[in-house]
Amino acid sequence: MLVFIVRRVIISFFILLAATFVMYLLVANSGNPLQDLQESRAPNREAQIEARIRLLNLDTPAPLRYFIWLRGAAGCLVPFALECDLGQSIQGQDVTALLSVAFSQTLQLVIAATVLAMVLGITVGIVTALRQYSGLDYTVTFSAFLFFSLPIFWVAVLLKEYGAIRFNDWLADPTIPIGVAVVLGTISGLFWMIVIAGDRTRRVTTFAAAFVASAGALWLLSETQWFADPGLGIVVITVTAVGLAFLTTAVVAGFTYRNVLYAALAAAGIGIVCHFALDSVLDDPSGLTIVLLALVTVAVGMGLGYGLGGLQRRQAIQAAVLTGLGTGGLLFVDRLLGAWDSYSDRVGGRVIATIGARTPNFQGTFWEEGLDRATHLLLPTIAIVLISFATYTRYTRSSMLEVLNQDYVRTARSKGLAERGVVVKHAFRNAMIPITTLMAFDFAGVLSGAVITERVFGWTGLGTLFVTSLARVDPNPVMGFFLIAGTAVVVFNMLADIGYAFLDPRIRLS
Amino acid sequence: MSDPTTPGSIPAAAAVAGDAQGMNVVARTQAQMVRRRFFRHRAAMAGLITLLLIVVLAFSSIGFASVPGWWDKDYFSIATVENRGRPTLSVIPTWLGGDGMHLGEHPFGQDNVGKDYFALTMRGVQQSLTIAFIVGLVGTVIGTMIGATAGYFRGRVEAVLMRFTDVMITIPLLVVAAVLGRRYGSSGIVVLGLVIGLVTWTGLARLVRGEFLSLREKEFVEAARAAGTSARRIIVKHMLPNIVGVIIVAATLAVAAAILLEAALSFLGFGVQDPDTSLGKLISTYQTAFSTRPWLFWFPGVFIIAIALSVNFIGDGLRDAFDPRQNRVRD
Amino acid sequence: MTDPSLPVGAPLPDPAAGGVNQPEIIESAAEVHVATKLEETAGPGEKEVLRVEDLTVSFPTDDGLVRAVRGVSYAVHEREVLGIVGESGSGKSVSSMAVMGLLPKSARISGKILYRGDDLLKKSAKQQRALRGKKIAMIFQDPMTALNPVYSIGDQLAEAVLSHEIMPRKKALARAEEMLALVGIPQPKKRLDNYPHEFSGGMRQRAMIAMAVINNPDVIIADEPTTALDVTVQAQILETLVQVKDEVNAAIVLITHDLGVVAGMAHRVLVMYAGKPVEIAETDRIFYHPRMPYTAGLLGSIPSLEGGGGGSRLRPIVGTPPSLINLPQGCPFSPRCPLATDVCHESEPPLAATDELGHVAACHHWDKLADVDDPTVYFRTESEAV
Repeated sequence: MLVFIVRRVIISFFILLAATFVMYLLVANSGNPLQDLQESRAPNREAQIEARIRLLNLDTPAPLRYFIWLRGAAGCLVPFALECDLGQSIQGQDVTALLSVAFSQTLQLVIAATVLAMVLGITVGIVTALRQYSGLDYTVTFSAFLFFSLPIFWVAVLLKEYGAIRFNDWLADPTIPIGVAVVLGTISGLFWMIVIAGDRTRRVTTFAAAFVASAGALWLLSETQWFADPGLGIVVITVTAVGLAFLTTAVVAGFTYRNVLYAALAAAGIGIVCHFALDSVLDDPSGLTIVLLALVTVAVGMGLGYGLGGLQRRQAIQAAVLTGLGTGGLLFVDRLLGAWDSYSDRVGGRVIATIGARTPNFQGTFWEEGLDRATHLLLPTIAIVLISFATYTRYTRSSMLEVLNQDYVRTARSKGLAERGVVVKHAFRNAMIPITTLMAFDFAGVLSGAVITERVFGWTGLGTLFVTSLARVDPNPVMGFFLIAGTAVVVFNMLADIGYAFLDPRIRLS
Repeated sequence: MSDPTTPGSIPAAAAVAGDAQGMNVVARTQAQMVRRRFFRHRAAMAGLITLLLIVVLAFSSIGFASVPGWWDKDYFSIATVENRGRPTLSVIPTWLGGDGMHLGEHPFGQDNVGKDYFALTMRGVQQSLTIAFIVGLVGTVIGTMIGATAGYFRGRVEAVLMRFTDVMITIPLLVVAAVLGRRYGSSGIVVLGLVIGLVTWTGLARLVRGEFLSLREKEFVEAARAAGTSARRIIVKHMLPNIVGVIIVAATLAVAAAILLEAALSFLGFGVQDPDTSLGKLISTYQTAFSTRPWLFWFPGVFIIAIALSVNFIGDGLRDAFDPRQNRVRD
Repeated sequence: MTDPSLPVGAPLPDPAAGGVNQPEIIESAAEVHVATKLEETAGPGEKEVLRVEDLTVSFPTDDGLVRAVRGVSYAVHEREVLGIVGESGSGKSVSSMAVMGLLPKSARISGKILYRGDDLLKKSAKQQRALRGKKIAMIFQDPMTALNPVYSIGDQLAEAVLSHEIMPRKKALARAEEMLALVGIPQPKKRLDNYPHEFSGGMRQRAMIAMAVINNPDVIIADEPTTALDVTVQAQILETLVQVKDEVNAAIVLITHDLGVVAGMAHRVLVMYAGKPVEIAETDRIFYHPRMPYTAGLLGSIPSLEGGGGGSRLRPIVGTPPSLINLPQGCPFSPRCPLATDVCHESEPPLAATDELGHVAACHHWDKLADVDDPTVYFRTESEAV
């Protein structure tokens, strides 16, 4: 295994080296970096041209210039050596400095979105595979096709218009007209009818229940002016947390043996109690406090699972930890929404942002700043999720269908294993093997995939750095960007191979 | 996918489908079955018809090259902007309280300088389709050639080709396409399509290589080799026909991806350059006009989506037609 | 027809060569086959454990309704081995999948499947699941694909126990180890941690047998348990199966396309054709006194150990099995049957008794087979016929 990894690392390194060479030549060939100066009428034109030629070593032929660049870049490989020199931009800024700023912006943008797209896409993919040829399956399949036929910038423009500009306008007087509530209720009714399926009476009751619940909820939210100062409230949190306990139990263990459910419910209960107990701590916490609380939650969940799990200790620990974290997440969202009113006042009612990663010069409590980031992340995240969600759904669905058709799944059923175990333990575990590769590819690709999203939403991340530098024929920042993107591809491909070996014992040994 | 145990030059004879469940299916040739399954795939048929309609509309309306079309306006003449450039297209009949069904003077409206937006959009469709088609074709041909060569010859040839593929895969497609587009965007769409096609073959090359690696161990290939058939002939006559399904599906999906790639490049400013246009460029130009003149944004967008969606559906239908395994699942 | 390229369990005496007068040959064949002779094991009891009544299964497809099983009835007694023989598409696998409740949801099933008197088809999914793997277990054809590649053998065996009873994992693993030892896997403790790909085909099938008997079932359905294996290990696997059956006192429904496999194994044999049973009798009766031309044809297509004479040549049944979507009118075997007359093309014969020994056959002309010494004579080509 170790030999396998070492070999893989060495090969990856040389591949990356070759790729930078190819890329360097392509970039050098992409345009004339002196064009703007040659067209300028400045009196010191010749001197400026001379200076830039020296700055970018333009008097050296491109293949040789690559080695000059490489010598500087080699310094980045040695840890703690200060000699990480990726050259300078046309304006004379250090590329390493430009990159580090841009990199953190891009990471903020893509990590949440990618993880969300994976979780949602894989979940929906499994459900549609289990209910192949149902109304839900057809709806999801069609939506998936629609989503990956959408140009992301087109979606982004729509999101900005309807998700931000018009939504913010509406927030000034957040009432929902009865007609709109009825239409949305009908849509929700149709949605749940398709999801639940069943015979005619079941469909009609589902539709009616969903319609009444949705339209009623909207009416209630409108009447109580909920959108002016939203929050979850303890009732919603409690109901959701208990639901979460049942859901995680259903997935990890089923209900035949109750101990797992008890552990999960206990985790939910402790979470809700903490809501009150930690009230003062959570008024204006630091990021560190939140991380510590999350760690404590995991520890408590493990303790509960261990103590209450009985014969299904492992499953109980999983269920309790997941429920605990979920409940914690709910409390977190509730607190964020609690800052809504004051935040809205401070940004003049334009809550959902369309440009940038943060409101410039905005300072406030932890929750206000958190909400500020969240409202900036919201739209670009939706845009990214919409597009990659589709790929995950399709891929997971076909992978699951393939696996569900395998003989060993039939064997698992013939043992009398409950359907939950057949799906989670046998089918999903095997279906995950090819999905790992997709995830690695996707993570590797998100850095460059964010190019367009960043552009539309005005984030000054890696993508924007790449696009503006390329337009100016500024080779060093472009190469810097590529070095990061290419390294990500190589590293994640390597991780995919290792993950593959981890998931599939047949590869593990060879 | 065709039955890999049967030499592709002979259509796989009877389909002994589902014998485990005791079904006896009438014998049909492979090609007949593929065709039949494809034509039964409703989404694929809808996609095919939509795509054909769009192609006919785009190329007949404003003409192509020197052939004139039936639409009386072109995409470059400047005119006075009438009624703020609003579209005159109306599809709601009068008895429904609309304006009746008519095209009007400028069905999709006019742009800033009064160019007919219908003609512009049609030009954009033409350009986007042409680029996507060239990219798909070039990428497929190169990918198949590299993958087939590597998979058939193995050894050093394979090592060199696959390492080269690894290197190219390391460069994200949008990045390398942007760099190439920066250089060749102004050289016209054919050149742009060709250079982008030169970098989109990597996925297919890996796929074809994998298929070839398993095919070359099959008896009919050994037999051909033993009979002294030349490598070129074995590859072309015996092996490629067996993975034609895989290639066709990949090519179709590559075209769909190329449509979106071209749109993205033009949006970033590294694609089609003035004075020519494409759907992506139109959206990019008018994204800020969305609040005031949304039609400038909607029409090209709807066409991109319609094309990409149609091609994706066709690809899905082809996949099901060539590889119906996925549909015969015990649930 | 029995595909001659498929491995045949073991050479069987050709009844054509030996004829009815040499029953000792079958004894020696059984020795070749299964060292533990069936006669030495516990015989069938009086009580029925499984009874199938008029079972029909059909699948809707694009091309029409596929009638895979068209009315199958049989009973299995305690400790009995019932062989079900037929070519692929005869409905033998589908009917046993119906017993296990493993058919796809699209399948239309009617009739009764009684386990100790309770109709399984009337039970809820949950009740069915409680019996599946606990009281009725199954062994599948291809051990290479029937085990999940990502879990260890021990995991998969323990899971079979834990599916029906909550107990500490260690206890379940101990039971798994015991079972691996029972099916003759050396160093069972070490083998628990192995993955399926580290087992040979024969070992995997042993593991499958261990998995099937780990809950002490009453009935084991073995669907072509040796077909996918090397000829050399087929006999060992059958031997293991008989041994284990005795250990846990289970009945076996042995499904195969290979008459050679049932020869030394089964107490009774049910022959299926086109979704229906066409002959049921004790194993010896089937081999020496077939009363259905199809059975006779199957016997004729078995390669002979004796060699020489007309018997040395394989004699396939001409033609192919009928389409289950458009069954021909009359007896489904009539298009391929050398004895067929007009009546065969017009009406499908019911299963009817041919003697007092419980030997039933579905043939208008079973008496013609009773008239000759060697029933396979009808299937010889002219040049072969003496």
